[in-house]
Amino acid sequence: MEKATDLFSLKSLKLKTKQQELLLRISILGLVYILAFITRLFSVLRYESMIHEFDPYFNYRTTLYLTQKGFYDFWNWFDSESWYPLGRIIGGTLYPGLMVTAAFIYWTLRFLRFAVHIREVCVLTAPFFASNTTLVAYFFGKELWDSGAGLVAAALIAICPGYISRSVAGSYDNEGVAIFALLLTFYLFVKAVKTGSLAWSLASAFGYFYMVSAWGGYVFIINLIPLYVLVLLVVGRYSMRLYVAYNCMYILGMLLAMQIRFVGFQHVQSGEHMAAMGVFFLMQVFYFLDWLKHLLNDQKLFQAFLRITLTCAISVGAIALGVGTASGYISPWTGRFYSLLDPTYAKDHIPIIASVSEHQPTAWSSFMFDFHILLILFPAGLYFCFKRLSDATIFIVMYGLTSMYFAGVMVRLILVATPAVCLISAIAVSATIKNLSQLVRTKAKPTQGGSGKGTTSTKASSKGALDHSLPYQRNGAIALLVGAFYLLTRYAIHCTWVTSEAYSSPSIVLAARGAHGNRVIFDDYREAYYWLRQNTPQDAKVMSWWDYGYQITAMGNRTVIVDNNTWNNTHIATVGRAMSSYEDEAYEIMRSLDVDYVLVVFGGVTGYSSDDINKFLWMVRIGGGVFPVIKEPDYLVNGEYRVDKGAAPKMLNCLMYKLSYYRFGELTTEYGQPPGYDRARGVEIGNKDIKLEYLEEAFTTSNWIVRIYKVKPPKNRW
Amino acid sequence: MAISYNTISFLFIIVVLLLVPINHSLNSDDLVSELTILRARSTTSVIHLSNILLIRMLLVPVPRPFTLLVFFDSQKLHSDSEISLPTLKNEFLILTSSFHANNPANNNKLFFFEIEFQESRASFALFGVKSLPHGCLVSPFATDFERDSSQMESSDFSRHAESMAEFVEAKSKHTVGPIHRPGFISKKQKMSIIAQALILSLFLLKKIVSGNTLLHNKNTWMVGSIFVYFFSVSGTMYNIINKIPIAMVDTDDPGKLVYFYDGSGMQLGAEGFTIGFFYTIFGLLLAFITRVLVHEKNRNIQRLVMFLAIFVSFRAVKKVFTCITGNLGLVIYMGELFG
Repeated sequence: MEKATDLFSLKSLKLKTKQQELLLRISILGLVYILAFITRLFSVLRYESMIHEFDPYFNYRTTLYLTQKGFYDFWNWFDSESWYPLGRIIGGTLYPGLMVTAAFIYWTLRFLRFAVHIREVCVLTAPFFASNTTLVAYFFGKELWDSGAGLVAAALIAICPGYISRSVAGSYDNEGVAIFALLLTFYLFVKAVKTGSLAWSLASAFGYFYMVSAWGGYVFIINLIPLYVLVLLVVGRYSMRLYVAYNCMYILGMLLAMQIRFVGFQHVQSGEHMAAMGVFFLMQVFYFLDWLKHLLNDQKLFQAFLRITLTCAISVGAIALGVGTASGYISPWTGRFYSLLDPTYAKDHIPIIASVSEHQPTAWSSFMFDFHILLILFPAGLYFCFKRLSDATIFIVMYGLTSMYFAGVMVRLILVATPAVCLISAIAVSATIKNLSQLVRTKAKPTQGGSGKGTTSTKASSKGALDHSLPYQRNGAIALLVGAFYLLTRYAIHCTWVTSEAYSSPSIVLAARGAHGNRVIFDDYREAYYWLRQNTPQDAKVMSWWDYGYQITAMGNRTVIVDNNTWNNTHIATVGRAMSSYEDEAYEIMRSLDVDYVLVVFGGVTGYSSDDINKFLWMVRIGGGVFPVIKEPDYLVNGEYRVDKGAAPKMLNCLMYKLSYYRFGELTTEYGQPPGYDRARGVEIGNKDIKLEYLEEAFTTSNWIVRIYKVKPPKNRW
Repeated sequence: MAISYNTISFLFIIVVLLLVPINHSLNSDDLVSELTILRARSTTSVIHLSNILLIRMLLVPVPRPFTLLVFFDSQKLHSDSEISLPTLKNEFLILTSSFHANNPANNNKLFFFEIEFQESRASFALFGVKSLPHGCLVSPFATDFERDSSQMESSDFSRHAESMAEFVEAKSKHTVGPIHRPGFISKKQKMSIIAQALILSLFLLKKIVSGNTLLHNKNTWMVGSIFVYFFSVSGTMYNIINKIPIAMVDTDDPGKLVYFYDGSGMQLGAEGFTIGFFYTIFGLLLAFITRVLVHEKNRNIQRLVMFLAIFVSFRAVKKVFTCITGNLGLVIYMGELFG
């Protein structure tokens, strides 16, 4: 009788702990959700609520158009303000997911009678989706390991710098929503494989659709998932669940993806998507063979049949691929895709890809910067995953390794690797801490084995070891626990510091420390763009390097020759050629493009180092790639890039040099240095007496960061 | 690298000039066909220039119907690493073969020569070559080889065959076209390797399907994945793409090697591998302690391993952190904004 009451009380107690656990879990998750949002608000607090960088300005401009004119106008929009004189068909050349999401949020808020400006919605979209990602990470972690790992994963991803770099408030870019979509698709697919349910596979197809609508990185999904399926087939984990999940996800996802005009029929026509199709057909062959094996009881007959079918299937597939490629129906791989597989490819063949700083390969310090302790927890997590292999852990291992490799190739792909790294490290953290705390607790309550599901094997093994060396193990466990908490604290400190110092600057407004440690703000970009907006004719055409194209159209509201959507290499090369030619030759080119104003960015006065002079070699390279008259060695002296007296003569007289340093020779920038001392490069410039013949200075911002020149009309006409 | 001459060479030239019959010199067509034959005979399409051949060319009245590109070689100096003659000679051969591949016409009027110092000192004197590496282009109108020929400057050697081609195109009306560098293996070898691989893969496939190979072992995959991780985080791709050396010679002290680059955004090969190794070691130790060590029954061994692990991890983490403060820190970001 006594025993029964004991049992009862134990049961009620257990129920209570379960409730407590649930409550704890929900409140932790809620806090993590809020944390993910507020840690991304540094930039808003420090500067103001504004859009950052370059691409987001285009996204903002299109979202504005969408909310003002409606979806159909947006979808059919021909934009004559960019890529003059070519123009751009906006609806067919963008991923609309981000804009539609923001507009949807905006309309919802309006419907609920919240009078917000669309800019605020755009600024806060990325943090909002980052918060949602933490929820997905929780469920994913729970699916992979246990709810503890899920919670840790959510907490880790909430503040991981690798993700924050692309999702701070104001960075209104595709990646902000795409990482959410990516992780959601993966989670739903893993869930579908685990349950074999049509509902989950359908959900993952829709997740995939959202991803396709939001970011070009969907190619990663459509290659990783088939690879995963292939691995499962090879290691003999083929099942009906897998068959249902993959077929449903692939067919529906493909059909849905075709609705996005920018993607179109690429799923059946481009080489990058062929792996998915190949695996799809392979699945059918597999299923067919399975069925035949079931029908034919004769083993020998089946073997013979298997051989014939496999040979036929493989040769038919190979022939189809060959014919498709040869006839041009299946397009070959794009340069970006190529450069992932053969990283040296871009550097040798596509300067426009290699020129972008975020396409550079990653050094170890960038990994450390973006992942911190997650990086050292990753191998431990891998080890744990291998020790407990399941369909889900195989997936996360594959995701982790492929994305890790790609992150090594391109800095920007660290973003794609972040969720995987967080999840795998969360497994390491959670499993380790669970083991250790169990050790610590068994001493206190020797009879109770500790609660919670999961690592039963570990529990058993640690118990076995307990008999012998309990006192020491307990101390060791405590020491390790303290160490683990120390590391996690360091992680939190590092993440906050990185977010505040490195990733929260809008790059359109620049900040520096003054002589007395105070913060100095340079708002030259906006000054210049508003000047353009208010002082130039409505139809003026502005030529600048492509980096600033989106900002000029969005803030200056003027037509540009090239912008950040680098789809036409020749057009960009023409601008590069103009910038690197002598003034008279450049004038001819500018006349042929109807250019009215030329805008250059110059950091010689402030010491701002990512200005046009430092980007100039890329202009030469890209220009020279199309027009061989431009030769890189002409601008170098013994392979060295210089702007001082020893610079190459062509360098000293090209348009970019003249426009950057015009009248600069009269200016003293630093005490104790001669006039014309360039602070960005730390040298005295070589050509101080610059005369302009075909252009005239129109406007220079207060810190000389942006300089605008007017192209004079031909001499005999006024 | 200076070269010494003796006056005998000058006398030699005069003697040869006197010996050569006058009527022979006038027939330039003969010389062209002879050069074409010599070129065809040479495996590299580069003609070995001797004193006599050079004198005969001198005697052809200007304008000569051909252009010469001469590479000056000296076997003795091949061992000198500073001027790296063998590399340059190899580049010259690549230039020659590319030129002939791009301009297959038999009546090519640009001839490539190489000349050896040991046997043709007189010719070196005739060109006025004082140091190596040296190369020059002799136009059809050149009467004095020293004065009228265009010399390759060091910048023309700098980017090897490509810049030599630019030099040729700038100084003569011949076009070289794209440079074809030979791959590591020829086409035939490639084909045979592919064929062998195909045959081998069939056997391998059979073995894999039959099961119980190394590939079916979970641990192989684990080691493989740890390697992929190590490969990525140590920045190997960065080293490969940017062709970063393992270590650098210290500019202040040439005898010393620098393994850790002290500056932002850059790394050296050894540095990346060391740090990648630290990461891996630390991560694996963590797994080892919590998953493997608990099986060990002996307390002393446990204790020893624990302390060892803590010590190693502490050292590794400390090293990484000291590196990162040198390598990154706030400096890079403020530096990026305002250098």
